[in-house]
Amino acid sequence: MKKRRLPRAVAGGVVLALGLTLAACGGGSSGGSGSGSFKVLVYGDASNKVEKQIVDTFNKTSKVKAVLQTIPGADYQQKLQTIITTKQAPDVFFNWGGGSIAPFVKAGLLLPLDDFIAKDPGLKSNFLPSVFNSAAVDGKSYGVPMRGTQPVLLFNNKKVLADAGLTEPRTWDDLLNAVKVLKARHITPIALGGGDQWPTLMWYEYMYDRIAGPGLFEKAMGGDKSAWDSADSRKALSMLKELIDAGAFGSNYDSVKYTDGGSVALVAQGRAGFELMGSWYYSQQQQDNPDFAKSGLGFSSFPTVTGGKGDPTDIVGNTNNFYSVLKKTKYPDAVAQFLKLQYSDEFVKAQMAIGNLPTTTNTVNFLDTAAIPDYSKFQYDLVKAAPSFQLSWDQAYPQTASEAMHTAVQQFFDGKLDADGFIKAMQALPTS
Amino acid sequence: MTTSAAPRVERRRPVRRSGAAVARPGFAWAVPATLFFLLFAVVPLILVAVLSFTSWDGLGSPEFAGLDNWRELVHDHTMIQSLWLSVLITVLGVVVQTPLSILLGVWAAGRQRNRAILSAVYFVPLLLSATAVSILWRALLDPNFGVPSQAKWLFGDGNLFGHQASAIGVLVFVGAWQYTPFHTLIYQGAARSIPQVLYQAAEIDGAGTVRQFFHITLPQLRNTMITSMILMVVGGLTTFDTVLILTQGGPGTDTTISAYYMYQKAFKSFDFGGGSAIALVLVLIATVISLVVVKVSGYDKMRSTTEGL
Repeated sequence: MKKRRLPRAVAGGVVLALGLTLAACGGGSSGGSGSGSFKVLVYGDASNKVEKQIVDTFNKTSKVKAVLQTIPGADYQQKLQTIITTKQAPDVFFNWGGGSIAPFVKAGLLLPLDDFIAKDPGLKSNFLPSVFNSAAVDGKSYGVPMRGTQPVLLFNNKKVLADAGLTEPRTWDDLLNAVKVLKARHITPIALGGGDQWPTLMWYEYMYDRIAGPGLFEKAMGGDKSAWDSADSRKALSMLKELIDAGAFGSNYDSVKYTDGGSVALVAQGRAGFELMGSWYYSQQQQDNPDFAKSGLGFSSFPTVTGGKGDPTDIVGNTNNFYSVLKKTKYPDAVAQFLKLQYSDEFVKAQMAIGNLPTTTNTVNFLDTAAIPDYSKFQYDLVKAAPSFQLSWDQAYPQTASEAMHTAVQQFFDGKLDADGFIKAMQALPTS
Repeated sequence: MTTSAAPRVERRRPVRRSGAAVARPGFAWAVPATLFFLLFAVVPLILVAVLSFTSWDGLGSPEFAGLDNWRELVHDHTMIQSLWLSVLITVLGVVVQTPLSILLGVWAAGRQRNRAILSAVYFVPLLLSATAVSILWRALLDPNFGVPSQAKWLFGDGNLFGHQASAIGVLVFVGAWQYTPFHTLIYQGAARSIPQVLYQAAEIDGAGTVRQFFHITLPQLRNTMITSMILMVVGGLTTFDTVLILTQGGPGTDTTISAYYMYQKAFKSFDFGGGSAIALVLVLIATVISLVVVKVSGYDKMRSTTEGL
């Protein structure tokens, strides 16, 4: 009997120790004596390389240390919202600006950066204003740009186009023609990761911008729901419908995903001609299919639409990612120092080396050092020339709207919603 | 067990008040489990019930919203559809898995060596997590790169995830692939505990294998069937991971079952009030179904299948 009791006592001790450890974790790292540390939470992906480097650089000179934490991509937003009101909340966190932080601002969780900027005007003046301002809520700045700008581009497989005697489509008619030609050759004209839903949304963003200009969406975002029911809105939908009905996306786009590499592989293997995707597509292809990325991947801006009110050089996508700061951080001064690194030469060079295009004013000095200079220059000129850079709809709207928006977007593509149904769904979205 | 424990019980008896109470485990034995149950099942359930009457996005504090979430739910087309889908997937799961696992379980209850090895191989899916299983099948059935795209003569356009019927088929199939081994295990155990005398008697009476199966094995497995089916029903109604990974409720909302819809509402749209209401509906339905199964089957009476032996 005695022999048996011993393991049980040990087990009890282990459980107790475990409990104590957990309790210690709950205490968080913010306690500490003297120097202390603050947490930096980032979307986990290939770009973390740079974030890690910047944190290391910061820690070399700072008494208060920065601790980098990452959450794998698809779950980032959900996990962030779950922990942001708890003790585990980060001090500084990655976001998309706009609607992605609006609810946090409304809940009084975020620190306005005005004081930081007052002490160091460079924290604002070193960034492109259009980008910097997309993280402002109610006239106050809540984010400092990090990573790179992400315009959505129309990528293509150069070989597929050449074999079919096609060139990069400049106009909507070019695109419709390319769809016809590729379909006749039994190639899916346009790869679409419809299973993820957000890639589908990009088609709407561009169609609406080309036909109505950025005003329509701004009006709708401002709460004027009649914008969705305008003639321009209906025209954009009917043209999209025309593209879908022409078989541009094949028949199984709904079960293809971008996030698991499905649509990426379709283009790389020459089984699809085009894919509309954010500028991070290049680094994705570079990772999945390095040879193809080097020589086979073409890119162009979204085609122009004749008769459309939008400026043909408008772009959509994510203006950039941002670092926002929580109000309850114990080390605002250290955080302010950390944010300064986001416009340092070291930061810009490191981002360029992995193919990202930072939105700092000194970026232009480093264009030649980019991983793919042609690509970086193309993006830079595109972003610089664009009169409007429409933030992705699902990031501009509050998080509570994104699921319903994605469903509506997908159902219209599938023919389960007609234009009236889509308009009604968009009007039902919460705008604040 | 009983033989070695008996003397000790005998010795302790004078200390306790009544002999009958000593023979059964005391109330104290149930305390840890009861506490756990209260803490991790009852308390959350009450919290969810309260949440279902509020509007909460996970930030700040919940605001009382009265019956808003419930009113919305009643008129929500997706919700009503999701309930039907949940029931359909559950029923299909039971219909597919029960005969399969009975046959396999009875077969695996045999004693030959090759059966043991085959059974061991066969139980492998049970050891994999549902997530791993779903990712595996997702890759195997990919519409562009998977098996169906290479065997279009069998799978039509090769896009199993693109149509409601085939998407549901895939969900039921993957569920069966993973959980049939578990139910087989239950049936195997039950089949082994059927007294051999019954079969010997039947053989003397001249009954063949088939008649033995229908007149001895099946009736003897009655209680096991109920247990297994309740597990299938509860498991079916709360199916979630397979849907999350295989179809994401798609195409459109064609495979959005209630559990997935709850997740969508609560954790993707950050409408925790609405999500809680769906969760409560699921709890109610699962409880009602379990009660009905127990009542209809006579399981509550716990009638022994070896009566008269």
